[in-house]
Amino acid sequence: MKFSPCNLLGAAAAAMLTFATATAESVKVGILHSLSGTMAISETSLRDTLLFAFDEINAAGGIKAGGKTYTIEPVIVDGASNWPLFAEKAKQLLEQDKVAVTFGCWTSVSRKSVLPVFEKNNGLLFYPVQYEGEELSKNIFYTAEAVNQQATPAVDYLLKMGKKKFYLIGTDYVYPQTTNLILYKYLLLHGIPAENIGGGFRKDADGKVISAGKYTPFSHTDYQQIVAEIKQFAASGDACVLNTVNGDSNVPLFKEIAAAGLSAADCPVVSFSLAEDELRALPTKDLVGELGCWTYFMSINTPENKAYLGRWDAWLKTQSYPGVVKEKRAMDSPMVLSYNGVYLWKAAVEKAGTFDVDSVRTALESGTITFKGPGGKTTMQKNHHTIKNVYIGETKANGQFKILKEFKDVAGEPFILKSLDEKLAAKK
Amino acid sequence: MTYRAWLKSLRSAPWMCWISTMLLLSGLARAAETPPAQPADSVIRSRLAKAVLAEGDEQKKEILSLAATGSKVVREVLNAWPKDRILLFAGENDTKIPALIEDETDSDGKARAVRIDTGAFLSDASGKPLKFAAADITTAETDSDLRRTLQQGLDAMALADPIPDARKTAILKLGNSQKLQNLPLLRDRLAIESNAEVRKAINESIALLQLGDPDPAVQKEAVIQLGKLEAIGSLDLLKKIVAKESTPSDIRREATSSIQSIENHIGVVNFVGTIFRGLSLGSILLIVALGLAITFGLMGVINMAHGEMIAIGAYTTYVVQNLFGTGFAFSITLPFSFGGKPIGFGLSLPGLNATGAFYESYFLVAIPLSFLMAALAGLVIERVVIRFLYRRPLESLLATWGVSLVMQQLFRMVFGANNVQVSSPSWLLGHFNLSDVLFGYNRVFVIGFAIFIVLGTYMLLTRTPLGLLIRAVMQNRDMASCIGVRTQRVNQLTFAFGSGLAGLAGAFLSQIGNVGPSLGQSYIVDAFMTVVVGGVGSIVGTVCSAIGIGTADQILQQATGSPVTGKIVVLVAIILFLQWRPGGLFSIRSRSLD
Repeated sequence: MKFSPCNLLGAAAAAMLTFATATAESVKVGILHSLSGTMAISETSLRDTLLFAFDEINAAGGIKAGGKTYTIEPVIVDGASNWPLFAEKAKQLLEQDKVAVTFGCWTSVSRKSVLPVFEKNNGLLFYPVQYEGEELSKNIFYTAEAVNQQATPAVDYLLKMGKKKFYLIGTDYVYPQTTNLILYKYLLLHGIPAENIGGGFRKDADGKVISAGKYTPFSHTDYQQIVAEIKQFAASGDACVLNTVNGDSNVPLFKEIAAAGLSAADCPVVSFSLAEDELRALPTKDLVGELGCWTYFMSINTPENKAYLGRWDAWLKTQSYPGVVKEKRAMDSPMVLSYNGVYLWKAAVEKAGTFDVDSVRTALESGTITFKGPGGKTTMQKNHHTIKNVYIGETKANGQFKILKEFKDVAGEPFILKSLDEKLAAKK
Repeated sequence: MTYRAWLKSLRSAPWMCWISTMLLLSGLARAAETPPAQPADSVIRSRLAKAVLAEGDEQKKEILSLAATGSKVVREVLNAWPKDRILLFAGENDTKIPALIEDETDSDGKARAVRIDTGAFLSDASGKPLKFAAADITTAETDSDLRRTLQQGLDAMALADPIPDARKTAILKLGNSQKLQNLPLLRDRLAIESNAEVRKAINESIALLQLGDPDPAVQKEAVIQLGKLEAIGSLDLLKKIVAKESTPSDIRREATSSIQSIENHIGVVNFVGTIFRGLSLGSILLIVALGLAITFGLMGVINMAHGEMIAIGAYTTYVVQNLFGTGFAFSITLPFSFGGKPIGFGLSLPGLNATGAFYESYFLVAIPLSFLMAALAGLVIERVVIRFLYRRPLESLLATWGVSLVMQQLFRMVFGANNVQVSSPSWLLGHFNLSDVLFGYNRVFVIGFAIFIVLGTYMLLTRTPLGLLIRAVMQNRDMASCIGVRTQRVNQLTFAFGSGLAGLAGAFLSQIGNVGPSLGQSYIVDAFMTVVVGGVGSIVGTVCSAIGIGTADQILQQATGSPVTGKIVVLVAIILFLQWRPGGLFSIRSRSLD
């Protein structure tokens, strides 16, 4: 049996560790993720991918800027699933460590919490996880999927499948609320009447819908009532469920769905928060045939992706960072988007010839910074979102996705609500 | 050897009997496993093999025509196909031999494959069946289009399915297809169908299809029929008919009255369903809180580690499941070292590699074991911590909270921070349907389970000598001690029993939700709430309050349409209730509790 003495060092201890590299010329880069608390399960994987990307760049000679070569020196801090702490840690990274760039955040609320810090200190943050949009900070670059790179393509696919009724369900916080509101309007625009959109609506005093869909709190466990409602909703056929439930509430939800006899063939569920990494902890047997939509799947069959996964596996075996789990690892979209972010930033720095935030931003905004990643080509746009491929996949029993459809080069667009409102008004 | 002598020899060597029986059984099983290849099948088989390799519309047409044969092998293949269980074996000269991979896997996770065209096992040169691991084979691909065709084929076959429920689903799907060409298929079935439920489904589907009939008289008849059948699935279509301008007024009138009767029916269904769901939620609360009703209610120990006892039960279920499967192993490294060497220990238990019904019986083994493990943990905690704190409730709160944190960290070290997967046995999956009200098997099970453990607890407390002692000690510890009751021993057993009940709750909770290190945390508040509302010290009170809270929660969820609002209203009501009756539903006044 093999023991590594550091394996169980608490994440809190790991949080403040910095890894000094031997070379004189190095550049500090921040990693700001939750390494403890409820989000740690998802976010530690992103830390691992970032370390992998840094090691890869350093091994290949580092970053060339202004005639010099720099190696990346990671500064890892732990947001501990505590949103105000994220802001404190961000402040520390920017004011004390003076990092050139930060990669981090998972939940939208953590991003919203660090946003003012980055704006005040003119920092640079790369955000890698699918989110609701309706935000554009000059200091944040979103390699994440915008709503039109995940939710709306999935709806397009379902509409094409002949689905006529859509049930919206999510966890009660900003991402599902905003996404479902956008989807509600998107469905109306595509000729689905409001009575065929399930989950209920909340209206303001003027009768304008301000929230669509059914919401449960984090860690909700009792889905009996909701699944009974879905069952009745789906009784007339051609129904599907758009699921933005986050975290482990998905287990009771899908167990209840299986028990009610709602099969993927009759009433598929599209989940926007379940990627390969999360599927490792779910009873995938009950999920076969349910759909997912991301800009990367581990099962993408390209030489680039295979080579990438090979390098990742090799790195996992040889690396010796504390707390990085070596076995049974999955790769998924947020991880790849973190990785892409590092290379986009590297390309921008090399174009600008400096680490200066304003110059790097100008380079990124030029629209010429691209990176051919494992999920296909990624191009940073002027609106701080990327152009990339979108894939629809269905879950297999082994926890992987089988890719059903690919949308090529979808341009990320953060502000959808307004344009949807305008289009809806014009339609009337 | 004569029969008698054989018997005698068996009696003298019982182990021989075992072995020979096993051999006999395995021999029989092997004989039964050999797939039959009747001549009538051979034509179908070779067509099927070709269909797997074919492409496009031709493939789809062939699949549907094969489905019409109703052959068992066709159903097997159509079912296995979308599940990636059709192997494409590379034969000679670049040919591909489609084969069906068997469900049962051996210890390496490998399975044999049956050639679709011949019905024989794929075998090597010596005739030994080849075995394949799911990871390293090429399977016949499907896309959503092809899967729909496969589904269509299966639907047609399902109309003739021996299981009524399967027939019903297939029939309703055809009804919802809105394709008039499906009508004769349904009528043919109606003529021979004898099951009342299925006949109702067929009538409903026929009426649904007839809504699209060009003849207004037929349409009207269909509308009336749907109202009579109280067909929930037709509500949307009927509403559409009412809303349509061109609908003749008599049809609209009939449709309106049909909608009315269907909506009444939905009201009844929702009401009955809500009561049932309330009962099931109440039962969950009850099994979670019953252990606490004993440790907190009877003994007065504020046990914050109660949730972790639940988690022990759930993890025991997980371990038992793994022991029935591929085995269980863990290793722990302590976060400090001794003489430069890390300290740690590990355990690896081999699994039984059971499959099928035997594997699914793991849950029955897990239930008593969860009780035992949690009771054992309770015993230890009582000895180590709680016995010093019987007269100091506040300290016991803090100490048990500490215990709970330690145990959570232990779970993390042994089982990892991620949730673990517990798969439900098939007899807990699924549901039965009574006039559109769904009764999930696991929900029915939990209600029965709750009744069982409440009765068991009640019997133990009132009908056994131990129960008598428990009650005596709880009512007046000093007096009981005076008359010679070994109160220490009784405390110990009572606490262990209460903890064991929590373990039982964990075993069940593993079937409906997550099993993770923080499992206990999500139930501890509910458990205390139930006990306090019921009245500290009263088992009957706990039962009433659990059922009451569960039902109220579900009714309010239904009424307000939001799970959160429902829960808030319940909590507010509880606060108000406790203002009114601080002692709970059944308050017991006794000297020991004052």
